[in-house]
Amino acid sequence: MKQIILFYCLLLFSSVAWSQITLDSIQNLDEVVLSDVKLKQYAKGYKLTMLGDSILRKNRTSLTDVLRFNSNIYFKENGYGMVSSASFRGTNASQTAVIWNGININSQLNGQVDFNTISSSNYDNISIRSGGGSVQYGSGAIGGTVHLSNDLDFETHFDNRAQVSFGSFDTQNVNYNGSFGNGKWSANIGAAYVSSENDYQFLGTDRKNDNGAFDNLDLNLNLGYIMSDKDVLKLYHQNFRSDREFSETLLAPSNSKYETQDYRTMIDWTRIGNTYTSTIKAVHLQEQFKYFENKTLDNNFSEGKVNTFLIKQHYKHEFSKRLIVSVISDASHITASGNSFANPNRNTFSATAILNHRPTEKLQYNLNVRQDVFSDFESPLVFSGDVSYQLLKWYVLKINASKNFRIPTFNDLYWNPGGNLDLNPEESYQVDLGHEFTYKEATLKLNSYYIETADLIQWRPNSASGYWNPVNVANAKHYGLEAEVGIKKIFNKHTLNFSSAYSYTETEDVEKNQRLFYVPLHKANASLAYNYKSFTAFYQHLYNGEVEIIGNTLEGFDVGNLGLSYNFNTTGKLVYEANFRINNIYNTYYENVALRPMPNRNFTINLTLKF
Amino acid sequence: MKLYKLILVAFILGLVFTSCTNDDDVNSSPLPLGDYEDGILISHEGNFGQGNASVSFVSYDLQTVENNIYSAVNSNSLGDTAQSIGFNGNLAYIVLNVSNAIEVVNRYTFESVATINTGLNNPRFIAFANGKGYVTNWGDGSVATDDYLAVIDLSSNTLTTQTIAVVEGPEEIVASNNTLYVAHQGGFSQNNVISVIDATSDMVSSTITVGDVPNSMQLDNSGNLWVLAGGKPSWTGEETGGKLSKINTIDNSMTSIDFADTEHPNHLALDNGALYYYMSGSVFKMASSEITLPSSAELIGLNFYGMTVNNSVLYGVDAVDFTNNGTLSTYNLSSNSLEASATLNIIPGGIYFN
Repeated sequence: MKQIILFYCLLLFSSVAWSQITLDSIQNLDEVVLSDVKLKQYAKGYKLTMLGDSILRKNRTSLTDVLRFNSNIYFKENGYGMVSSASFRGTNASQTAVIWNGININSQLNGQVDFNTISSSNYDNISIRSGGGSVQYGSGAIGGTVHLSNDLDFETHFDNRAQVSFGSFDTQNVNYNGSFGNGKWSANIGAAYVSSENDYQFLGTDRKNDNGAFDNLDLNLNLGYIMSDKDVLKLYHQNFRSDREFSETLLAPSNSKYETQDYRTMIDWTRIGNTYTSTIKAVHLQEQFKYFENKTLDNNFSEGKVNTFLIKQHYKHEFSKRLIVSVISDASHITASGNSFANPNRNTFSATAILNHRPTEKLQYNLNVRQDVFSDFESPLVFSGDVSYQLLKWYVLKINASKNFRIPTFNDLYWNPGGNLDLNPEESYQVDLGHEFTYKEATLKLNSYYIETADLIQWRPNSASGYWNPVNVANAKHYGLEAEVGIKKIFNKHTLNFSSAYSYTETEDVEKNQRLFYVPLHKANASLAYNYKSFTAFYQHLYNGEVEIIGNTLEGFDVGNLGLSYNFNTTGKLVYEANFRINNIYNTYYENVALRPMPNRNFTINLTLKF
Repeated sequence: MKLYKLILVAFILGLVFTSCTNDDDVNSSPLPLGDYEDGILISHEGNFGQGNASVSFVSYDLQTVENNIYSAVNSNSLGDTAQSIGFNGNLAYIVLNVSNAIEVVNRYTFESVATINTGLNNPRFIAFANGKGYVTNWGDGSVATDDYLAVIDLSSNTLTTQTIAVVEGPEEIVASNNTLYVAHQGGFSQNNVISVIDATSDMVSSTITVGDVPNSMQLDNSGNLWVLAGGKPSWTGEETGGKLSKINTIDNSMTSIDFADTEHPNHLALDNGALYYYMSGSVFKMASSEITLPSSAELIGLNFYGMTVNNSVLYGVDAVDFTNNGTLSTYNLSSNSLEASATLNIIPGGIYFN
């Protein structure tokens, strides 16, 4: 929680902090400011939810679980540990952009990110920016963006953290993180390995979750080097491999498996002058998958692979402490190969201009405009604007509006059969009104929004050709309310932390005049943590309302988790910590996706060693 | 509270009197075989992997529709992707492609009799001969060499250990006495073969090469097997046109008529000596004695996912966009006009007369 408050403070004073940084010596560069500058600087008019180190460590589960229990985002998970996609404010999975250290990493093949192929343990913080204002992050940022950040800390330190955990259903989890800094160099290394038989019993039956085993490995290496008092060079590298069986449903057996690999590498050179900051990023992203219909046949699979080469330049000029102008341009070359298409490639170029103005201490606004050029189709000019006004000491009003787009994916354009080269990008308009109240250690955020998307791409059967085609056919409207509460109470040596998020989401498929599939009208979560000296206990709860599915509705559910941890101190630098966690303590039967029962009550023991 | 009770009593009395009246009718006519006698059964694939396969019962005039009859009678879900139904005696065999199962029910009451859920891998269609049921199976869709027929012992409705290996992509299957004919569309690929199987020896006795992607078959009263092949679709890069073949089942001799290279017909039906097929939203009719294809359509502007003809009435199902409820429509083939339409369930495919 301390970190969270720290982040809020940073957020509140980021402009101030920034100007100080340019004056102070480079060694004092704040680790947070270094990770993803744009996010904090240009997010004033948006709701930003930060999940800091403490929340990520406490959860120690998949990123899907972390976000499901700690944010407004709804997840559609095809059985525990299987493919999991996010829905922000009722938008679909390809309308949520995931940003890795400032770079959009949504799949070029299907436009989505599978949140079970991202390890929560190797990031220092994960933040969620609601709304479509993330124009500078490009395609797909219609519902919102999820930012995964690695922070490089140059202050002299050498910290290690090793964890090992064992859980029900033959689940093992081992991870190590090391962080080093000596004033000139900074490095952090992360390795996380998870494996699980995942063969939980389906409650009320004698069946098990057959063919649901998975394992995955995430490797991270990040380096920073201060070249001069103006220049910082950084290297980010990540490799995620997952090997998953695809679990059966209640009505369909399965014998298939799915292997994915992602490589992400980025070199970042930042030069900080007195009135300007210039960043150049060179990035290589590779995603690949292999699908085995029959897991016992090693040589029988379908596959796909995409390489993205990207250069991104960000120049920021500070005309005064109150007026900053940024220009971002990027160029990328993307090539794909696989069984279902020839070897398509795409070249893109984009330019973004951002004006950041703070006329008074209490008022700040940003204007963004972006144009993309794609080699294979036309793209609209998009823009966003946001205002943040501190009306009272305890009340901030935030308003933002934007036009966004999502480009057709390689699958949409080139899949054989069906790929349609005549597609247009999806377009959306959205407005968002936010209120933030702060009183002592309590915060309340209220947001209401309206999103209209046109030219939604959907695959439809084509009676003339006899196969399915993607077409720009649907229009959708989304509107709703979100509330987030955070309260911290300290009395003597006792600390209580409460946080809760609720969302009310109305959606409409305009053509069919019905609600969109798999969007809960109500979703709420709450967590309460209590700390006394070395002892911590927490409870977290999720209510996921019923969702519409094809021809039916899927019942809502309540799930609760309980955790205890004890810190065996702490003399000197060595810290031992033991955690015990009960997931689904009420042993609730629930399906997150129809016919795919989720785990019954289960246990995890975790030991952490910090040195 | 008292008023409520009075209404309840009146309601119960009403029921009793109504029942009495009905009893008289029952005594004067043969006992019905079940609620679903004398009407149309529609199998619905439902969405792949979504477990929403279903069967609907529809009266011949399409005025009465009852969806989900299997789950209503048996209080459980039918399964995933009902590909087809085969009938033998009083039993209906519902082939569930993604569930790798066959649900055996009484065709008139729809009460479950047996579930066969071992030994099947991507089952598609079923036919009956020599006291056995023969089920076409793709095996793994991406493997060309593991396709087979599973054999069911109809006396126990269990799978026998016997399987009959066949070439890739077995789809529709029809029986003529003790001979079975299997059309090989090719599964995820394309094939062009009819396998002929002897139900006495359970061996493939011969294979007949027909047009590419044979999608439907009809047996006529003169001992001919009519095979309609759709041709390879354009996306394969090797597009071929459809072909209609007439195979003499005595000596397997064959005559064929070719469609144009970009024409891909489907859903062959046979009624009163006339053949019907569906192509690009239109229905065509030709006398089985004709040697050229018809030049004009009987009905146009359609979107059929399944089609059949019975007593000069054409029945077509439209799966619409595969997420909304589909429809069944009937057309009078004397006047070529729409007779009736009814809304069904998700992705209707097969049309059967009970």
